[in-house]
Amino acid sequence: MDWSVISNFDFAVIWRYLPALLTGLWNNILLTVLGFIAGGIVLGTLLAIGNLSRFAAIRWPCFVFVEFWRSTPLLVQAIWMHFAFPVLSGLQTTPFQSGLLALVFNVSAYCSEIIRAGIMGVPKGQFEAARSLGLPPRVVWFKVILPQAVKIVIPPLIGTVISIFKATAILSVLALNDVMRAAQRISSYTFKPVEIYTTAAIIAFAVGLAITIAGSKLEARFRQNEA
Amino acid sequence: MEFHYKVVLQNYPLLIDGFWITVQVTLIALTIGILFGAAICAMRLSGARGLDRIAAAYIVFFRATPEMVLIFWGYFCLPLIFQLRVSGLWTGSIALGLVTAAYLAEIFRAGINAVPQGEVEAATALGLKFSPKWRFVILPQAMRLMVPPLVNYFTELLKNTTLLSGIGVAELALQAYLLGGQTFRYVEFLSAIALIYFAIIFPLSLLSRRLEHREVHR
Repeated sequence: MDWSVISNFDFAVIWRYLPALLTGLWNNILLTVLGFIAGGIVLGTLLAIGNLSRFAAIRWPCFVFVEFWRSTPLLVQAIWMHFAFPVLSGLQTTPFQSGLLALVFNVSAYCSEIIRAGIMGVPKGQFEAARSLGLPPRVVWFKVILPQAVKIVIPPLIGTVISIFKATAILSVLALNDVMRAAQRISSYTFKPVEIYTTAAIIAFAVGLAITIAGSKLEARFRQNEA
Repeated sequence: MEFHYKVVLQNYPLLIDGFWITVQVTLIALTIGILFGAAICAMRLSGARGLDRIAAAYIVFFRATPEMVLIFWGYFCLPLIFQLRVSGLWTGSIALGLVTAAYLAEIFRAGINAVPQGEVEAATALGLKFSPKWRFVILPQAMRLMVPPLVNYFTELLKNTTLLSGIGVAELALQAYLLGGQTFRYVEFLSAIALIYFAIIFPLSLLSRRLEHREVHR
């Protein structure tokens, strides 16, 4: 054990570069929020409804999409989005755009399974009653089924937020300026890896812990309201 | 554009090297995860005030911190602090192993807690000592319940092995990325490994779901 590393711990360098690390961390938080809303809630719900469709032409593509994005690693998805997708589509994407796109698809696949389970948890009689009243599909879904499914789905969906936050750190492989990429750059510039990486780890853990605690409080409240 | 699948086939030895590294990382992390996870689960269930707090803190820490952060911290800081020379493969695998331990400890605990209390009481009432009670009554029932989440977590671990490419461990994902860069054939290589991961993980994920379904509808 080399005590000099600890006794020579350079706090000045931490203070100087903390704003840069926090800027990186802000990107992680932004990606978490965007990934959760665009992927988890919007696309996840659409995929869940698609997966329960009566028409095989809608059901199968949704099923394949969900299973594919669930069964491959996010890191591979991210580099595929950044290096292979532009070749295929002709669109140039920034690291942030390709990282966000991979994250949104990945999260949507996970959340669509949760949402699907929630929709299936709505009693079948509700579907039948809504249909036999002659309600159009849009009303059946948005006024009858989804409001009931939301109650079932919220606690497990909150649980995914911490996974999304952890996943955003993976996107640093795309040179997207997240907290880990910022730490890498600063430490190779200052030659103070112990100070910089330790600070980065502590602030990342602090956010992760805050999400965990807030999540379990919210979950407990929703479960209580249900009972 | 054309799809040059031959370029992937020509470079298969490097992909196989990468695959073996992935297997090694998975096995090291899994071994550490099972051993540490069982120990932490035992601490958590022991009811000893200090021990269960430590175990709970361990679980919260490793579940709340991004894996990427732990891997980078271990790779860049441990050698300086402890004057060690450890390869990226070992640092990364140990970091993943410690994370795995936190998740497995919770899976083990959930399995053990799901064994009906009556079973435990009956075993105690029959005068079974600690060891036969666990070996013949609690664990056989708990293990059956643990299998689906364990298979599911195994797929998560397999996906997380790709994170070691961040510290330059040439596992499957990094090999494919490097080959893509050398040949300017990103589409072929990255699609090929995406299919490889899918071919391994999808059947396991189906298996886990089927086992869980069977457990629920017993």
